[in-house]
Amino acid sequence: MKVLRTLVIALFLVVGCLPLIWLGITAFKHHPDTITSSAKFLPVPGAPIAGDGIAFSPTLEGFEHLAEPHPGVEFSFLDHLLNSIIIGVASTLASVALGTSCAYGFSRFRIPGAKDWLFFVLSTRFMPPLAVVAPVLIMYRALDLPNTHLGLIVLYTAFNLSLSVWLMKGFIDEIPRAYEESALVDGYSRASAFFRIILPHARTGMAVTAVFCLISAWNEFGFAMTLNNAGAVTVPVYFAGLQGNTNGVPWPQIAAGALIFVIPIVVFTVLVRDHLLRGVTFGTIKQ
Amino acid sequence: MKKESPLLKVGFVAPTLLFLITFNLYPLLYNIVLSFTNKQLSQDEYEFIGGHNYQAIFDAASNPKFGQALRTTAEFVLFAVSLELVLGFCLALCMQAKFRGKPLVLTLLLMPMMLSPAVMGLFWNLILSAHNGILNQVLGGAGLPTPHWLTEPSLKLCAVLLVDVWMWTPYMMLIALAGLNAIPGYIYEAAEIDRASRFTVFRRITLPMCAPLLLLAVLFRATDALKQFDLVMALTGPNDTSTQTLSALLYQLTFANQKVGLGSAYACIVLVLVIALATVFTRYLDWLATKRQGA
Amino acid sequence: MRARLTSIVLSISLCLLGSSCKHDSKSEAGGSASAALADSAGAAAGKTVNIWWAQWAPADGLQQLSQEYEQQSGVAVRVHQIPWSSYQDQVFLNFGNKVTSFDIVVGDSQWLGRGATGKLYLDLTDWLPTVVDVKTIQPQALRYLCEYPAGSSHYYAAPGETDAVGFAYRKDWFDDPKEQAAFKAKYKRDLAVPDTWEEFKDIAEYFTQPQNKRYGTALLTGRGYDALAMGFQPFLWEFGGSWGDPVSFKTKGLVDNAGAVEGLTFMKSLLKFAPNDGPNMDYGKTLEAFTSGSTAMAMNYFAFYPTIVKSLGDKAGFFVMPSHNGKRFSSLGGQGMSISNKVSPEQQKLAKDFIAWFLKRETQEKWTKKEAGFTANSEILNSAAFKQATPYNAPFAQSMNFIQDFWNVPAYNELLAAAEQRLGEALDGVKTPKEALEAISTEHDRIFKEAGLAK
Repeated sequence: MKVLRTLVIALFLVVGCLPLIWLGITAFKHHPDTITSSAKFLPVPGAPIAGDGIAFSPTLEGFEHLAEPHPGVEFSFLDHLLNSIIIGVASTLASVALGTSCAYGFSRFRIPGAKDWLFFVLSTRFMPPLAVVAPVLIMYRALDLPNTHLGLIVLYTAFNLSLSVWLMKGFIDEIPRAYEESALVDGYSRASAFFRIILPHARTGMAVTAVFCLISAWNEFGFAMTLNNAGAVTVPVYFAGLQGNTNGVPWPQIAAGALIFVIPIVVFTVLVRDHLLRGVTFGTIKQ
Repeated sequence: MKKESPLLKVGFVAPTLLFLITFNLYPLLYNIVLSFTNKQLSQDEYEFIGGHNYQAIFDAASNPKFGQALRTTAEFVLFAVSLELVLGFCLALCMQAKFRGKPLVLTLLLMPMMLSPAVMGLFWNLILSAHNGILNQVLGGAGLPTPHWLTEPSLKLCAVLLVDVWMWTPYMMLIALAGLNAIPGYIYEAAEIDRASRFTVFRRITLPMCAPLLLLAVLFRATDALKQFDLVMALTGPNDTSTQTLSALLYQLTFANQKVGLGSAYACIVLVLVIALATVFTRYLDWLATKRQGA
Repeated sequence: MRARLTSIVLSISLCLLGSSCKHDSKSEAGGSASAALADSAGAAAGKTVNIWWAQWAPADGLQQLSQEYEQQSGVAVRVHQIPWSSYQDQVFLNFGNKVTSFDIVVGDSQWLGRGATGKLYLDLTDWLPTVVDVKTIQPQALRYLCEYPAGSSHYYAAPGETDAVGFAYRKDWFDDPKEQAAFKAKYKRDLAVPDTWEEFKDIAEYFTQPQNKRYGTALLTGRGYDALAMGFQPFLWEFGGSWGDPVSFKTKGLVDNAGAVEGLTFMKSLLKFAPNDGPNMDYGKTLEAFTSGSTAMAMNYFAFYPTIVKSLGDKAGFFVMPSHNGKRFSSLGGQGMSISNKVSPEQQKLAKDFIAWFLKRETQEKWTKKEAGFTANSEILNSAAFKQATPYNAPFAQSMNFIQDFWNVPAYNELLAAAEQRLGEALDGVKTPKEALEAISTEHDRIFKEAGLAK
């Protein structure tokens, strides 16, 4: 039984990680080596390019070309990475701030129609982005928001609010009311109780929520592609735009860029690994 | 205890709700308005044309696209979620035991679901290429058939399914693991005393006790799978009949065919379905919460 | 309050930073020396003309050519390149904004109708004849790239790039005496550039040796945008079909007649000799199939051929579309330069100045020296100098005599999307060629009816 178990886990581990490992290997190849009909996975310095066999000559070409734009494009991958960072961080900060205060309200106060409001908040997560992108685009055009950072920041904030509210409500529900009650008895206002008592205790929760909001904004594609296609372009849209390149899809560049793009996600996943379950189920399941 | 000023309550909650109303409710309503017009993507002016768009959608003879997209999406959701459930649950069963390096293995296993579908989907193009992709090279090397994943019509949806299952099986595993770990140890001990067979234990204890959480996972995953767009765009493009999910159809109509009015009509129908699903979902969440509190 | 205030302040400042990034980085990330020159020389003016084109060699050529314009006029020119598969979507998405990100769009020929009737393209009818003698423009180019409706002398684009579909072939394989001998033994005739599709098929069959990773042909079969439709058109026209009647917009009996079905069936049969991704190859993939050295004959637009010459040199040769039953047709390509209606009059004036400079005879001659800079000027096109300048210029000039185009009515994009989808189904075997073409006819009829073009 134990052997079977180990085999199954090993199999899943290999299948799960192999594409990522292949991504890593591809990032260090010359372009012709990435499209050969025999897989090359053995880095041997000085191996012939596009030869036969499994050896390839490792190179940093993919990474070097990341920083220089290829002809006809004004922005390099690093510009797009910066866009992703700006949009991701700003929308996360706003999401967490708004979500925490809203969650506090639902957690501590009796709000009329709370259940319906919370349902409304959750249902926004179910909407396919493509179903609402047309009215949003028209609304944005009137406000001159397409192709700006602000446009996507505001949109991502709105769409991460459901995650933020539900996650933070779960965290705040766990903070005993007794803490604020004593502060209130001592004469503090509700607002200052919020900032002095709740926020410090909710720090972990806010960090976890921030990570999930950031990952969600980081990986988002549907809205980014349709709203920000000519300015403030984020990394996933930039990669999608490399398809159909007449010089052949630049796989080493894409792999190198994808590696850099994925590293923050990996770091954050490791940081919140204890709260992963909670994060991916909107706080409805706690371990 | 002084009475809370209602203004304070509002102050905490209102900004968020306003945000959500602006970005979720308003587009919904505007969608409905747009669905009765013939707005084009690159033009500013448009006119109202009554229910013409809806008529075109339901006139199945001249427009099988909607039915086809519904069918494709339903197939996708059904197969994706089922496969992920089965595989995830099996993996969770194996991961239940303690072993050295478990946290590391767990984190590694969970990596695929945290990545951007758009970016990984693009890279999977290289892996699945019939010409020089590594998957076919591995299969060929092992003597297995090497199908043309991205060009054979019957296999294109399989390719999208493959990547989706690769990406989201860890999700199901994570939740199944939580479900399995929530079963108290004494029940297993009692079963052992009764000398119940492994299979009986599994059938009568493990599965039923996991079921509520598994169902929750299924619902979560199903609602996400319904939105499937990134992988379709990356692997086959939005105009391919074999993989045209609802979101891909919406993109094709609104952005490639530039018929915003018609796209909005489709979107309204999709949103009705989504709201129905969301209602079922939250009812179930409520039931689950009360059940767990009771138990 | 502090935390919220901080986050709001942070967000706002990031946004301001971000939006200023949008405006600044366009000018700072350009990178070319002349842009810097122009920036310092005309910095007070700081004027730029933004051009959008597809991502391929001619756009590189235009960027290089326009550096001369910068030196002369102090106005910077930026050519923004977008891959073909998303070019159309991006341009029309951008046209919906209040102000477009581009001043000039080098739009595909099919877009003319939509650009004209949708008031997206500036009407150039009065202005164009003042900067170029219309009679010197190649008639097909003028008809398909510049004027809408056809034959009306209403101009919405200036001639930019002309193009046609042809073939690249492995001259070294054809010239190899061993191959010649083996071919002659099997097919009883010489191995030479094919004149008819039947000859083509034999050659493709001969060179298809999957065990040696060699394939006979790569055809244009891409499902995004228009590659498959462009690849199919020569077969459609040569075998006796057409997209429809240009006056009545009737399609029944034209796009789905016996000839059309035969043409599609024949095209599908050629895919037996294509590499594994044969049924779904867009412009880039077809090019790659050839440059990677595995394919004997690859179909593509001539504008892609400089890349082939760069990577294969003398090993590559070029020939025009094979004929069938004496009929020879090729898919028209090329783009005209249109000025956006949604930029300020000052920018439009700058755009006009640039186009006027581009259309000058000496500029057009320099244009032909750039990679795949295919001029629309008939005199240059027909000159011996042009035909000898590169290995592909002569077959290209020849092709200009038998090019035809797809529909360019405003609803062209729906027509194209429907055709791409159904033709794709035929190649995939989901529908028979007859069913697929009949489905196209039905859908096109519906689209024409909705557009008010047909009864």
